Amino acid sequence: MDKTTILYTKNTLLLILLITISSCSKDTPEVVNEEELITTIELNFSTQGEPDQTVRWETEAANSAEIVLKSNTEYDVQITFLDESDPSDIENINAEIIEEADEHQVFYEFSGVSVTYGQGTSDALDSDQNPVYINSIWNTSDANSGVVRVFLIHEPTTKSSTTRDGFGGETDVSVDIPIRIIEE
Amino acid sequence: MIKSFFKITVLVFFLKGIPLCSQNCDFILSGTIKDLHDGSPIYGAVIRIEGSDVFAQTQENGSYILKALCPGSVVFLIEHAECNSVRKKVSINANATLNFELEHHINALEEIIISDNQLKVLNGNAKESRLNADQITRFSNQSLADALTTLAGVSSLKTGNAIAKPMIHGMYGSRVGIIVNGIRLRDQEWGPDHAPNIDLNAFQSVQLVKGAAALKYGGDTPGGIIVLSPHKLILRDSLFGQTIINTATNGWGGSLTSKLMKTTSNGYYVNGQLTAKRFGDLSSPEYVLSNTGMKEMNISFKLGRSKISKGWELNYSRFQNETGILRSAHIGNIQDLLRALKEDKPLRIEPFTYRINAPKQQGLHQNIHLIYFNQFNDELKWKLDYNYQVNSRKEFDIRRGVPLDVPAIDLRLQTHNILGSLQWKKGFNWEMELGINALLQDNYSDPNTGVKRLIPDYIKTQLGSYLVGSFKPSNSFHWDWGVRLDHVGWDVQKYYNVSDWKSRNYNTIFPQFEVDNVGTQILVNPTVNFLNFAAQTGISIELSEQFNTSFSYVLSQRSPNASELFSDGLHHSLATIEFGSLTLDKESSNKFLFSLTKTQGKLKGAIEPYFSKINNYIFIAPKALQQTIRGAFPVWQYEATDALLWGVDAVLAYEFSDRLNLDINASYTHAQDMKNELPLINIPPFNSSQSIQYSSPKKRIDIKVMHHFTATQNRFPDLNFSVTTLQEDGLIEQEVDVSTPPSAYQKVDVFFSLYLGNINKSKTSLRFMFYNITQSKYRDYLNRMRFYADEIGRNVQVQLVLSY
Repeated sequence: MDKTTILYTKNTLLLILLITISSCSKDTPEVVNEEELITTIELNFSTQGEPDQTVRWETEAANSAEIVLKSNTEYDVQITFLDESDPSDIENINAEIIEEADEHQVFYEFSGVSVTYGQGTSDALDSDQNPVYINSIWNTSDANSGVVRVFLIHEPTTKSSTTRDGFGGETDVSVDIPIRIIEE
Repeated sequence: MIKSFFKITVLVFFLKGIPLCSQNCDFILSGTIKDLHDGSPIYGAVIRIEGSDVFAQTQENGSYILKALCPGSVVFLIEHAECNSVRKKVSINANATLNFELEHHINALEEIIISDNQLKVLNGNAKESRLNADQITRFSNQSLADALTTLAGVSSLKTGNAIAKPMIHGMYGSRVGIIVNGIRLRDQEWGPDHAPNIDLNAFQSVQLVKGAAALKYGGDTPGGIIVLSPHKLILRDSLFGQTIINTATNGWGGSLTSKLMKTTSNGYYVNGQLTAKRFGDLSSPEYVLSNTGMKEMNISFKLGRSKISKGWELNYSRFQNETGILRSAHIGNIQDLLRALKEDKPLRIEPFTYRINAPKQQGLHQNIHLIYFNQFNDELKWKLDYNYQVNSRKEFDIRRGVPLDVPAIDLRLQTHNILGSLQWKKGFNWEMELGINALLQDNYSDPNTGVKRLIPDYIKTQLGSYLVGSFKPSNSFHWDWGVRLDHVGWDVQKYYNVSDWKSRNYNTIFPQFEVDNVGTQILVNPTVNFLNFAAQTGISIELSEQFNTSFSYVLSQRSPNASELFSDGLHHSLATIEFGSLTLDKESSNKFLFSLTKTQGKLKGAIEPYFSKINNYIFIAPKALQQTIRGAFPVWQYEATDALLWGVDAVLAYEFSDRLNLDINASYTHAQDMKNELPLINIPPFNSSQSIQYSSPKKRIDIKVMHHFTATQNRFPDLNFSVTTLQEDGLIEQEVDVSTPPSAYQKVDVFFSLYLGNINKSKTSLRFMFYNITQSKYRDYLNRMRFYADEIGRNVQVQLVLSY
């Protein structure tokens, strides 16, 4: 029976030890800086004789203003991807996308309006000379209103497609922006 | 409840009488024990009467003698370190000669020659099934879950082929305990895509206990427990080992495992084991499953001394693996998921390679275990276990602008575990064990991933105590019982998005947890405590020479795990955002298990129905859609309901002759969420396997054909959601069907074993295994990759086993 008592004492001591260890609290963990975050899409439209127009889609609001374009007009369009999670340190992601041009593709899908687009004047190209469409030229036709869905595709299976499904890959950005085309 | 059991106990006691000692105990049993294959005598085998201290050891000529035996029916257990154990039931009413044949651990597909292992209730009332050394050998290059699915009632929840978790009676993860060498495995068991960090090759037997009967290891496993045990020890000078070489055509890879054990007559033993595995991309019948390669390297080492009265052991093991995840299963948003669902094939099929790219997982698990035991006298023994486990886990995603070698999840979980127990034994009838268990767990989530922590930093403590016992008045009656109490405490440090913290009302429910505001995030320090109670009781009765029956009841309580409480992040394989819930309470399960077994005769079988009601059953369900820059995402959140699970496991064996056997295994599970009146998700559909086996004389050749059938799961919750796609004339909604289970399937495996005899003093055998020989093309409901690709096609495996 003595030995049993010793055993209990041993166990109790171990427990006390364990509880002492456990009562030490941990260091405060660091905040994680999200590295791949894109919070904002900026679309800039310019055409001759008109003031520039900029439309922003922001995560916080999860929507944006309407794009208003004139019918039968050619626009230079620049898209900018931003990380604004830290207002004191806004990051422009475009440089990174251009650097990894082979793994990225910007793609626009239109509904309700008739717009065609092509390679812009200073567009980034991938190693096969495919345009990434960071800079693009949009040609509008008749007046109407609808939606443009803006995609940034990561690791597309092909770089030359006319549909989102055709590109494959993973979607990094997919936002819907209202668009209205008015008479000239 | 307990009172009525006691009545039954007393009743049976009197019915059976106490005839064992009232008659003359002077019978003698003798005989020889020989090798089944070549008839050579086996030296040093131990023959014992189960449940007693009566035993004998064989001489060099294989002979043994047991004296002073009482009349009656007893069970003999014949054991030898290098052989499979044999169990035989014998009625003693005269002096007799009884010869046994033992089989070395290499050839047979069956553990026991005299009786079938799968049909036996081995230990009290816990519904138990067992995999023996040979079955483990067969699964040498596969996972624990794969090996266990050969038992009725076990399924595996998979992510691809290499990542498999065992599922018992429709439950997995934290509801199933894995016991390694007497201590619970502590890895990140909560994740459905985390396979247990176990190398099957390091163990001699794998035991499955359905229901949480083993309260010693925890009272929180309503699904059941899996007990992995090492080699049995023998107290004599010997050196033995085994090497298994596997090659397989699917994945064009293989494995090598080797172990060596040295024992001495003064009780010292040392044991080392090593396994290496490497596979490239696997293939479905029609295409390569790109990025499904894997590699694994494991080492274990053991040193100890065991005398009858006391002993110690030091044990170290290291498990390391890297597993690729099907490339096509990494998606960006639900429109990508919809696209994958529409396609018959994965969207990326590349040529075969051994390279493992992102998405992939890397795991490293290390385990140090110290054991000491001391037997004061015939009645009392105490044992102390100290165990330290470190589990590191890294997950790599396809990422933009981040170096390839930066993981998206980087967790390190350290666990200290101390278990002290006192065992008390009174004669052959009464046994009791009292134990105390303390656990300290520290999880660290590396912030350098650049991804919000999925699981936060925390310290978890657990203090538990148990008392279990059994009463066995005769060989035909057994009663066991146990109680356990655990206190579980969490001390967590976690950053929530301020918007999430507020939208869940945590700012009003838990203002005391708030520590610091850091921009858009808030640091909180939740401390959560749970007190869990568990109890279990059961009886087993031998109805006649041929029939046994058992009944058991288990109450288990489980506190929510780290994932259920705190998870917070995006899952790339299903495009879901998953959230834990701080308001969850503990889960309580009441489980009843019944079994009826026929143990003798040409036809043997067992039927095991069970029923369990779980209050506060924690599960994850879709809540809402969250608008993100990648489009709308379904948000899934952990919540609680009341659940009802019942089912039946059945096994049947028919012996046409000594050489020809038929085996059938089947199980059905029914699970319902009672509050929402919906079926539970991820419940295995009806499945069965049937095999026919032929063994040539002396088991030199063994052929087995196995057919598997898995039905369609018709009971599933509808968790579909919709996605807007853009068409010429506007946005349209399309349904994303993530609920409908795949169709039923069948497949056939063929096994061919050849015993080659002694080559250079090694007993050698060769196996050819043909899995999915007919190239059946199918998808499995319990595989999370089923949305993207078919299961693997034909695999031809060649295995060489050398035992020395």
